[in-house]
Amino acid sequence: MTQTQTPARHDLQSLATYRPGSKALLVFFETDCPTCQLALPYLNALANGQVQVIGISQDDEAATDTFIRQMGIHYPVELDRGLKLSRAFDPQSVPTFYLLDESGRIAQTLVGFDKAALNEIAQALGHTPIAPASDGAPAWKPGCGSRHLEPAANGHSADLSAPLLRRLGDRASRITFSDLEDVVEQCFRLFGDALPVVPPNEERVSAMLKGTDLAPQTVIARVPPVYGEATVEKIAANAVMAGCRPEMMRVLIPLVRAVCDEKFNAHGVQATTHFAAPLVLINGPVRNELGFWSKQNLFSNVVRANSSVGRALQLILLNIGGARPDGIDMSAQGNAGKFSQCIAENEEENPWEPFHVDRGFQRDESAVTLFAAEPPRGVSEHKAQRGDVLLRAVCSALATVWSYRVCMNNEAMVLLCPEHARTLHRDGFGKNDVRRFLFENTGIPLRYYSEPDGGEGTQFTAHYREITILGEPCYQKFRSPESIFIAVAGGTAGKFSSVLGSWAVGPAGSQLVTYPIP
Amino acid sequence: MPITLVHPGNETKPEAAPPPRRLDTLQGKRIGLLDISKPGGSFFLDRLEQLLRTQYGVADVVRAKKPTYTKNAPAEVIEQLRSLDAVIEGLAD
Repeated sequence: MTQTQTPARHDLQSLATYRPGSKALLVFFETDCPTCQLALPYLNALANGQVQVIGISQDDEAATDTFIRQMGIHYPVELDRGLKLSRAFDPQSVPTFYLLDESGRIAQTLVGFDKAALNEIAQALGHTPIAPASDGAPAWKPGCGSRHLEPAANGHSADLSAPLLRRLGDRASRITFSDLEDVVEQCFRLFGDALPVVPPNEERVSAMLKGTDLAPQTVIARVPPVYGEATVEKIAANAVMAGCRPEMMRVLIPLVRAVCDEKFNAHGVQATTHFAAPLVLINGPVRNELGFWSKQNLFSNVVRANSSVGRALQLILLNIGGARPDGIDMSAQGNAGKFSQCIAENEEENPWEPFHVDRGFQRDESAVTLFAAEPPRGVSEHKAQRGDVLLRAVCSALATVWSYRVCMNNEAMVLLCPEHARTLHRDGFGKNDVRRFLFENTGIPLRYYSEPDGGEGTQFTAHYREITILGEPCYQKFRSPESIFIAVAGGTAGKFSSVLGSWAVGPAGSQLVTYPIP
Repeated sequence: MPITLVHPGNETKPEAAPPPRRLDTLQGKRIGLLDISKPGGSFFLDRLEQLLRTQYGVADVVRAKKPTYTKNAPAEVIEQLRSLDAVIEGLAD
């Protein structure tokens, strides 16, 4: 955001809805710019108060009317005919926001979509924040070139053949079967996974919709890789198919937002040839309120809450996102977690802070986390009497994440069973101590690289870090202690923990995301 | 009694674009080679570029690279390739 003080502009007189004498927020936009489509609806919240908000469209009346209707814009929008205002203000890209003071001077300029900066502007206008961190939209997104800077720009307008990122979708269509047809068989044929589903008839979907206050047509997100619109109604239909109870809509709405968060990169996760499947981890009071299971067999078919929410997510990814396992989803061997993979942390047996507290939430808040995970590797350690000894067993599993000679490139989720967590706590390990120990003691012996065999991971050694583990020179497996996530899960009998490796990580891969559950 | 289901799938209609006309010849054409950033992609594309230049008489070969194979090509990469006669995309390792 830039801060400038410029003279009042007489050009403002051409704005019919502008009232001098009070602060105003102007936003220049193009109707076919995805960032404008993302940003402009946020200003509705401001316009409901005392602030004047004016949208200035660089496109023609027809395109602008469509934009206003589909984006649900409630504040005045004016057409910049001949792009005269655009030439006067000269934004280099759209959206550009100009906050004007009472005398019409530019007090602040914001270029592109930036949640934190929008919230600062809202605050400057005496308003509460308008852009929540966890609504599924990215924190920041650059805009498109301003129309007046395009070649031959003289009122050239948008081509709205590209679909708008609208906030309200269409109602789902209805499919009617005669009573001579077996509806379960028809569901097998038309949608779902390879298991039977509960037919999403109107009565069941209508009951499911009672689990949320949101209107059925509300678009929650666009699900990669085909970017189908996940309306509340379609989420509900898939929830019915998966066997969810209506109260699970409370979890499914933030879960769909989270899986479509650009940081998670479902586009890649759903299409990769790798094993990755979303691991859903539930934390906080919602576990007990809705019956999520965190104890023995938590990866298994033990309770309806875990199984149905994990399956609903997968059905949404299949049916709305289009990554069918016989089509766009190209995983070489797949992952059993693609049927359903939803677990809860065993916070009651966790001697440290729960996972969502590590992620910045309060203990009494509920949250859902997504991690693009390899299948779990089991770690048995029944004999170790000391915490450090049992952690070395975990290290050996961590060393094989992705591929044994690939370092610095991955993350991992360590799910400590309650007995292991207790041993570690008894020996004085805090969670950060565990993380640090695993980081410092997970490595691949250099002798594994001594043969120039050209195997995976041997080509990147220039980027690896050399350490010594128990006297043996090794390359360090992980980039930092933060590459290792730790939660406590499972039953109180059996010293079996597990390690789940990641897919590609960081901004060029998939990043773990945690969203609040209301 | 008939039963009515709520459609649970994507109903957005994709815009159908007709495929471009196939090139009659590579002679004198400007060809793009898109590397998706998978390790090893450049070996294949380097050889392809050499063949295009030495055996097929192309006017030019434009090399473009996606920043990551895990995501769509950003607009600036597409822009680099838009004006060319044809583009060959190198997939996988």
